[in-house]
Amino acid sequence: MLSRVAESLFWMSRYFERAENTARFLDVNFNLLLDLNNITHTENPNYWIALILVTSDRERFNDLYKEYNAHTVTDYLVFNKNNPNSITSCIGLARENARSIIESISSEMWEQVNNLYHYLQSVTPQFVHNDPYSFYKEIKNSSHLFQGITDNTFSHNEGWDFIQIAKYLERTDNIARLIDVKYHMLLPELHSSLEESEDSTDIVAGSVDIIQWMAVLKSCSALEAFRKVYLSKIDPDNILRFLILDRSFPRSINFSVCAAEDALWRISGSSRHRYVNNADRLIGKMEAELSYTSIEDIYSKGLHLYLADLEQRLVKIGEQVHLTYFAYHTPEIEPQDVEEALPFTGVAGGRANWSQAQQQQQQ
Amino acid sequence: MTRFFESYEADPARFFDEVISKEGIPRQHYDKLLHRFGQFSLDDIKARRQIVNIFFRNQGITFTVYGVEEGIERIFPFDLIPRVVPANEWQTIEKGLIQRITALNAFLHDIYHGQKILKDKVIPAELVLGSKHFRREFVGINPPLGIYIHVTGSDIIRDGEGNYLVLEDNLRTPSGVSYMLQNRQAMKRAFPVLFEKYKIRPIENYPQELLRTLQEISPVRRNEPNVVVLTPGIYNSAYFEHSFLARQMGVELTEGKDLVVNNNKVYTRTTRGLERVDVIYRRVDDDYLDPLVFRPDSKLGVAGLINAYRKGNVALANAIGAGVADDKVIYSFTPDIIKYYLGEDPILQIVPTWLPSKPAHLKYILENLDTLVVKAANESGGYGMLIGPESTVAEQEKFAEMIVANPRNYIAQPTISLSRHPSFFNDSDIFGCHIDLRPYVLYGKTVTIVPGGLTRVALKRGSLVVNSSQGGGSKDTWVVDE
Repeated sequence: MLSRVAESLFWMSRYFERAENTARFLDVNFNLLLDLNNITHTENPNYWIALILVTSDRERFNDLYKEYNAHTVTDYLVFNKNNPNSITSCIGLARENARSIIESISSEMWEQVNNLYHYLQSVTPQFVHNDPYSFYKEIKNSSHLFQGITDNTFSHNEGWDFIQIAKYLERTDNIARLIDVKYHMLLPELHSSLEESEDSTDIVAGSVDIIQWMAVLKSCSALEAFRKVYLSKIDPDNILRFLILDRSFPRSINFSVCAAEDALWRISGSSRHRYVNNADRLIGKMEAELSYTSIEDIYSKGLHLYLADLEQRLVKIGEQVHLTYFAYHTPEIEPQDVEEALPFTGVAGGRANWSQAQQQQQQ
Repeated sequence: MTRFFESYEADPARFFDEVISKEGIPRQHYDKLLHRFGQFSLDDIKARRQIVNIFFRNQGITFTVYGVEEGIERIFPFDLIPRVVPANEWQTIEKGLIQRITALNAFLHDIYHGQKILKDKVIPAELVLGSKHFRREFVGINPPLGIYIHVTGSDIIRDGEGNYLVLEDNLRTPSGVSYMLQNRQAMKRAFPVLFEKYKIRPIENYPQELLRTLQEISPVRRNEPNVVVLTPGIYNSAYFEHSFLARQMGVELTEGKDLVVNNNKVYTRTTRGLERVDVIYRRVDDDYLDPLVFRPDSKLGVAGLINAYRKGNVALANAIGAGVADDKVIYSFTPDIIKYYLGEDPILQIVPTWLPSKPAHLKYILENLDTLVVKAANESGGYGMLIGPESTVAEQEKFAEMIVANPRNYIAQPTISLSRHPSFFNDSDIFGCHIDLRPYVLYGKTVTIVPGGLTRVALKRGSLVVNSSQGGGSKDTWVVDE
């Protein structure tokens, strides 16, 4: 398979998953505010800051908007074209990647990306504001439909594996960020400002906490699956155990890492005791560690540090996938040089623009 | 409910009409078509239009219009009424094109080797050597089988008497063949009964023939030479066609950055390492092919490709420098070229052409700008044209200035009233539109032409410009055996 085709499959999948995750964050935040409306100040901008923290581009947001509220944050995360991670940008980039390999993917896959793209072009901020539930549901369902179509119309060989790697790396990263944001909310200064309500008692604080944790579960579609395992014992330990370490729930970190590992190993032929390249080694190491980690281990390291480290390692894995499969080097060039010459930027979707004018000049 | 076709008004006194003769009666090879369409009501036709539209939309058959921000994608306008070419007329076209392409290839080989035709002063040397598309660097290079023009698409028109004339030769990998193939598919879905009534020669084998031609020019002998299609990328107006042909042939569609040259051999970058490439069907202009040799700012090319080509390690279709033979100035000498290399009279005539570089011609051109068509020698796609009868005085003056400043860069021809054909595309009425014909010629070990080609239609009432970028559409073309 051409490296460029593999890379475009990878980014098509990754941007699609990113759009879905953003939709999930936003959807849950709206619900969260409705739940909390009676017990705390929901106009508090900190509820919206959290969403910007998930995507970790606070500076760019501050350049564009004056305050954090439902309108600005929604505009930034759904519509803003200057935000490369907005839903509109992500789907645009997913489509761009799909279009450049239209002969390689199934026509049904192309139609689905294209449909969602045109749907987003037709949606207004007012529509999202009036009926956020329907809008986010549409995005999530479109993503599920795309995955279902991919599974059922696209050969399960190397190309499909690249789609899986991208999807699960992106998902792992997003779950880690989501949990981390909850951690941010619990930071003393934010936490206190969120709980400044007059009748702020321990009981209220406790219930706000539970509601927030439930929101985290919901945004991973994990509340029901969680209850089947832990019944109604919604406490942070169990929730973290479930979202990080559960091996069977498809939106847990452990599950996603296993799935990415399977796909990587299928491509290269690596196995449990023999790895072929660095990407395989790093993902294998991560999977093995997750398998033998307890929630107490995570606490002893510190939740935030643990997650930050995980995110760093995911970036490293992405880099290695890039070097191994996409940036195939010519024999004269040593791998070290490649690393310098082709940094892993994570914006492959934008790559097509640079030569647009020349492409058009050809007869 | 009026029956379809009853409202059609041919104007055989002014234009050659493909369907209705000068005497006002339908031509024989259209009998069955008229009979079948005569059974349809407007609603029947609209229902069939729907079938066709869905087919095109699902296939993603679009082209890109430039000059509009972001490049708008449009469905290529399709005219439901097919053109019928009787076998005897097709035979003339086929023979004429084989003769023409063979002679043009001999011309290219000569120009890039002994230049005998220049020494014999059949064509003024400065016109050839000064052409924008003449590639001095390739003098003496031998492309595989001595072939320069593997895929061509000459534009053929009919004059007022119905004579087939060659309007121009597109020797630098012309586009449109995917529309030819898709139009046929669409028509089969919409009008299956008509296909039973006519013996229509098939064109569906074009992708296989193209692949065979490309494999034949492989410089390396192996069972399955590795052929790739090289596209400028998704923003190119013909990108759909590039990906369509790659898919139909079952070969990789590559961009410049997918290819890498090492030790004068060309490879694709794959997830499993480098794979050798033998033949490149390139849809990128010469100028952009290799930043080391041509434009250094090219982002579409492959560094080192030209050296690999010179060493004979990779074949390019079409060869570099082929454009010199479809320069519109050289076009005016094509009858001489055919005579010079083949010793035959041309089977297909060309449109009379005046060259501003000849003083006598220049005077005539400047005096008759209001009736002539002026074309830039090296533009395509209907850009850089003056259509005398439709132009304003200011436009004529502007062209006069440009012609005088740079006479080598222009040609002038009489305004030919292209033949007309009934067209139905706006779903309300049927009217005569001007058409041309672009058959696709493949040149490997033999010359092959799939019967038919792309009939382009000037869908704007009265317009003579058939290019898709200028509001043209297309229709299916049937070569029929009686």
